Amino acid sequence: MTPEVTRAEYQEELEALEAGALGGLELVSAALARTLEAVEHQDVELAQLVIADDDRIDGRYLEVHQALITLLATQAPVATDLRLISALLHVLKNVERMGDQCVNVCKLIPLTGNEPPADEEMVRLILAMGAQTGALIAQSKRSFEERNVEMARDLVRRDDAVDDLNRECFSLALELGDDPDMREWAMTMLLAARAIERIGDNAVDIGEQVAFVVTGLFREFEDASHPQPTPRP
Amino acid sequence: MVEPTGAKRSDAAVGTTESTEARSGIDAGTPGRSVAATMRTRDLNLYYGDLQAVQDVTMTVEPHKVTALIGSSGCGKTTFLRSLNRMHELTAGARVEGEITLDEQDIYASGIDPVKVRRMVGMVFQAPNPFPTMSIYENVAAGLSLASGRVRKSVKDEVVERSLRGAHLWNEVKDRLDRPGSGLSGGQQQRLCIARAIAVEPEVLLMDEPCSALDPVATLAIEDLIAELKSRYTIVIVTHNMQQAARASDTTAFFNLEETGRPGRLVEIGPTETIFTSPREQATEDYVSGRFG
Repeated sequence: MTPEVTRAEYQEELEALEAGALGGLELVSAALARTLEAVEHQDVELAQLVIADDDRIDGRYLEVHQALITLLATQAPVATDLRLISALLHVLKNVERMGDQCVNVCKLIPLTGNEPPADEEMVRLILAMGAQTGALIAQSKRSFEERNVEMARDLVRRDDAVDDLNRECFSLALELGDDPDMREWAMTMLLAARAIERIGDNAVDIGEQVAFVVTGLFREFEDASHPQPTPRP
Repeated sequence: MVEPTGAKRSDAAVGTTESTEARSGIDAGTPGRSVAATMRTRDLNLYYGDLQAVQDVTMTVEPHKVTALIGSSGCGKTTFLRSLNRMHELTAGARVEGEITLDEQDIYASGIDPVKVRRMVGMVFQAPNPFPTMSIYENVAAGLSLASGRVRKSVKDEVVERSLRGAHLWNEVKDRLDRPGSGLSGGQQQRLCIARAIAVEPEVLLMDEPCSALDPVATLAIEDLIAELKSRYTIVIVTHNMQQAARASDTTAFFNLEETGRPGRLVEIGPTETIFTSPREQATEDYVSGRFG
C-alpha cells in the first residue's frame, strides 16, 4: 500500500500547536533576560513590566492547551501524535511555571529597597546562573524541535552547573556578615537564585518529554528522591 | 501442509448426532461447557485460485483475550479470519497452505470434519443475518440442532435462555420468543446472532466487523458484550473502526499489503495499548494515525 498523505489539516494544526507551545519558551527566554536586567540594575519598573507581561505567557498556555484538548476530543490521536500531544501539555505547564518563576524574582526586586547593599559577587553569580539557564531553555526548545534525545539528555549536565552556582550563592550569603540590611538583601537574593534554579529544572523536564516523544518511554533523567552520584571532573 | 479442499459445501449439511457428555476438542462433537482455546497459525498462506490473498502469517490468538485484526480494505484480514474456522474453503478455488491449530490440534488435518471445526469456532458476520422465517427462539436453537441433532425441548429452552442472557438480549425478547427474529432492531439482531453463535458453546468466536451496520449506541452494547464474552471465549474481531479496536481489544494485529495486487501480510501484533501508543513499525504508526488507508 502506497502511503498517501491524509488528514493534512489535522497534521498542520498539530504542527502549529507544537510551534505555539515551543514558542512559549521564547516568551520565557525574553522574560528571563528582562528579569536578569532588572536584578542587575535593581530596576523596579522593568520588573513590573515582566510581571505584567506574564499574562502573555499564561495566555499562550491557555490557548494552546485548549486547542490540544479539542484535538484530543475531535481527532482521536494515537501513537506518536498522542505522545506528542501529551508531551506538549507537559511543556506548556513547564512554560507557565518558568514564567511564574520570573515573576517571583521580579516581585523580590522592590523588596530590596532603593539602595540595597548589593554584593557584586552575589549579583555576578545570579547573572551567571540566569545566563546558563537561558541557554538551557534554548537547548530544551531545540532538542524538542529536532527530537534529539542526546541533546535533551545533555540538559542534565548543564543544569548541574546551574545547581553548583546556586550552592555558591548560598555559601556566599553565609559569608556576607552580620549587618541586618546585608543579611536581608542576601536572603532575598537566595530566593531569586532558587527561582532561577527551578527554571533550569523545568528545562530538564522538557528534555524528558523529548525522550518520551521519541522512545515512548517516560523516565526521569535524574530522580531527585533517589539521586545517583554524578561523576564530577 | 493442507491440501486444496475446494468448495465442499456438502460438508455443511453433515452434522453429528452424538449426544454425550461435554468434551473439549474437535473430536468431541457436541456442545458442552466451552473452554476458551488458543489458536495458532504457522506460515499461513491463503489463495483464491492463482491470487494469493494472505502471505506467511504466523501468529497466536490467546484465550480469554479479544484480538482485533485491523488493516485497510483488501489486506486479507477477513480472508484470514475465515480461514480460522474453515470458511475460506467454501469459496470456489480457495486454498490454504500452512498450519492452523486449535489447542494444538491441526484443524485442517485429514479426517477433521469442517462442520465440527465451525462448531468449535463460531462466526458472527458483518450484517446481522438472523434466519428470516424463524422465530427468535428458533434462531437461537437452530445452531444447536445443526450441531447436535435432536435435542430435548427442556434442554433447548434452557440453552435458548442462557444464550439470550449471555448475549444481553433475554430481557428484551423473553415475552416474544415466538416472533420473527427479523422484527428486531439491527443491534438486537446482531445480539441474536451472537446468541445463536454461543448456543453451541464454541471455544472461539470470530466476528467480522460485527458493528459496522449498527448505530453508536448499539455498537457500544456489542462492545460491552464482547468484553463480557471474553471471560468464556477466545475472541477475534475484524474491524475497520480503529477506535473500536483500541477500546474493545487486548491484542491488535495489523495487516497490510505492500501494494495493490500483492498479498496481505501480518505487519505487527502486540498489546493493543502498545500498538496505539508506541507501535514498532512505521507502517503501523501511519495506519493507526490515519495517515493512509
